[in-house]
Amino acid sequence: MTQRVAIVDFVQTKHGEALEENVRELTFGVVRKLLDRVDMDRSEIGTMISSSADYWQGTSCSNSYYYDAAGGNLKSGSKVTEDSVFALIYGMMRILSGHHRTALVVGVTKCSECPSENTLTNLAADPFFHRPVGLNTVVAEALQARMYLDQYGPSEEQIARVVVKNMSNAERNPYSHRGGKFSIGEILSSSMMAAPLRCMDVPSTSDGACALLLADEHTARQLTDKPVFIHGIGWSVDHTYIGDRDLLNGALPKAAEMAYSRAGVKNPSKEIDVVELSDVTSFHEIMWMEQLGLCDAGNGFRLVEQGVTALDGRLPVNPSGGLFGANPFVARGLIRVGEACLQLRGEAGDHQVPRVNKALAHSVHGLGGQSHSVVILGN
Amino acid sequence: MAQAVAIVGTGQTECGRRTDVSYPELVYEAVSRAFDDAGLVPDDIEAVVAGSMPPAMEGVNNPHLYWADAMGAGGKPLIRTATCGSTGISLAHTGFYHVASGMFDLVLVVGAEKMYEGDPQGTMATVADPFFQRPFLAGAPGIFSLQSNEWAHRYGIEEKRVRMAAAQLSVRNHDDALLNPYAHIRIKITVDDVLNSRIIAYPVRLLDVCPASDGACAVIMASERMAKKLGRPTAWIKGVGYCGEQAFFSEGDKVVWQSAINAAKSAYSQAGITNPRKDLDLAEVYNPFTFQEMLFYECFGFCDFGHGCDLVEQGVVMRGGDLPCDPSGGTLCTNPIGATGLQRVSEVVLHVTEKAGDRQIPGAKTGLAHAMGGLDQFNGIMIISSVL
Repeated sequence: MTQRVAIVDFVQTKHGEALEENVRELTFGVVRKLLDRVDMDRSEIGTMISSSADYWQGTSCSNSYYYDAAGGNLKSGSKVTEDSVFALIYGMMRILSGHHRTALVVGVTKCSECPSENTLTNLAADPFFHRPVGLNTVVAEALQARMYLDQYGPSEEQIARVVVKNMSNAERNPYSHRGGKFSIGEILSSSMMAAPLRCMDVPSTSDGACALLLADEHTARQLTDKPVFIHGIGWSVDHTYIGDRDLLNGALPKAAEMAYSRAGVKNPSKEIDVVELSDVTSFHEIMWMEQLGLCDAGNGFRLVEQGVTALDGRLPVNPSGGLFGANPFVARGLIRVGEACLQLRGEAGDHQVPRVNKALAHSVHGLGGQSHSVVILGN
Repeated sequence: MAQAVAIVGTGQTECGRRTDVSYPELVYEAVSRAFDDAGLVPDDIEAVVAGSMPPAMEGVNNPHLYWADAMGAGGKPLIRTATCGSTGISLAHTGFYHVASGMFDLVLVVGAEKMYEGDPQGTMATVADPFFQRPFLAGAPGIFSLQSNEWAHRYGIEEKRVRMAAAQLSVRNHDDALLNPYAHIRIKITVDDVLNSRIIAYPVRLLDVCPASDGACAVIMASERMAKKLGRPTAWIKGVGYCGEQAFFSEGDKVVWQSAINAAKSAYSQAGITNPRKDLDLAEVYNPFTFQEMLFYECFGFCDFGHGCDLVEQGVVMRGGDLPCDPSGGTLCTNPIGATGLQRVSEVVLHVTEKAGDRQIPGAKTGLAHAMGGLDQFNGIMIISSVL
């Protein structure tokens, strides 16, 4: 890429179980705060790309409901759906084309207003073969977790450490929905949800919204002293039927390879300083780390046990608390990008990691991680 | 500076009640035809863009993931774009920016809808916000009828005159659909048939309204370098424009309709079009409702405001006229919504590459493709030409 695209600033809601504001108010709130922070008038915004999903909003054509509230009135824009990192990617493309200098990128989900995650993700299973047997996101994740257990044999205690770490990190994050100090015993005594996943292995859903401003390098430098540059971006999809896929080696290595190659990253475990990934379960934080090439396959749980991925470790993973901290289903990917951005700017407060030059953000959607996106950021 | 973007292949399915295929099979039909048209195979494609209406339309969440194998997308980057009725044109725009950004050389764009799987009006009823608008503006005909009445009232256009012009448009679309092998409603009708068809929402009658269709459409986009290397019949994207507006119907002027005006303006300015009536050889205007099409003529600068009917009466927008509109039979005769805007793009491509068969507009060089969506809220335009 000849031109560079930067993140100028990022704003998120204080995420929660059931926020009082409606979807319009949530998007308006984050966009208003963002524009105030960068001291910009709405008229100066080039384009607005949002991400939300109709089933996850309980309204059809979900962006129709908040297009104006999210700052898009009488502007060019679009909605890319299911994974909010797609909105970042599309906003970046629009800037690289030269048509726009700035792009407002907005993500929103109010899980409290829609049916349960299991109901909605069961609707994502094909109607003929998978839906009748009850396949949904947790069931698919449990199948993956079981395969991982069988292949590499971590103990339940080793996996539970992810939850302990992320919930403890989340407690330091003022925007998280939940957090706290938990013992391994508490996690292992939580009831079984879909073996081997226990209730506390799976972060429940949240309400939340976020907005970030993208700009070309020249514009970004005028707007902020601390631009965060997108060094590389990659995304990939796996096959339709879960039985046609290698559940321990799917689309993520391909997405990561694309992002690393565009960012010129040769040795991710050495070059990346902090990781914000979509930890859809405790097992998955470990699996995604391995599939991102941050450690060898079957070695992730050992890094967690050794404290390598802790806030003060060599390679902190999810210092924000990840999805254990807050899980607004569609917006969560863009929040990972925003949190990585805060780390690079040294603005993460109590969950700040020292010396961050390069960060990785990751997002996932689809049963058993059918689709992944990876973003490499740097200052 | 944006990279030039070409369209090197299109594929459409026959539309209608397609109980002979599943949803992914329908997608596969369009995609394989686009590959045949471009002389390419799935391995050649670097990235895929897919989209449709709200997933409630078919009852499958994450439809793009359900279609992944049908599109040959496994192992490739795939993004889903969805902007209600304007989804098809938004998909084309997303594909355009994949290439214009310099990130990809060859991109597959797919839109589809299988509306007989579910309850289209039930799905569309939930576009309107649940508190203020849904109780009385649910479904598509309500808002478009209100808009048509407001338009006729604003300019004092006599009821009889508007009614006759709209009926003529319906006859024109139905005649043209008979020439389009992909069209859904293929019947010969007369002006009297339109005038005597039953009222849906005043002034809109049954033959003023589009059907709900099953159908898919696929388009392959390429960078200039790739298009030249392929050396196939090529259309070039000369301009894109999109504009969205207020969520609440009553807050915007739907007659001097800013989103439609702005979308056209920005596409024209990129394409160097100063006089659309003269510079365009055809327009595929998104016309799910006959009356609304005339309002678009005005917003797109085909005529002055308040003079939309003139273009129909003078035959300007008819086949053989100065600026033929919807020579495919348009959205009025075929509306698989997620594919519809992309069908408009495909149709213009077919004309400017002289591949439109029986429905070809002779000598067409430059055309406009359009789609509209949301609660009368989103408008998107693409200008496509035979020359770079």
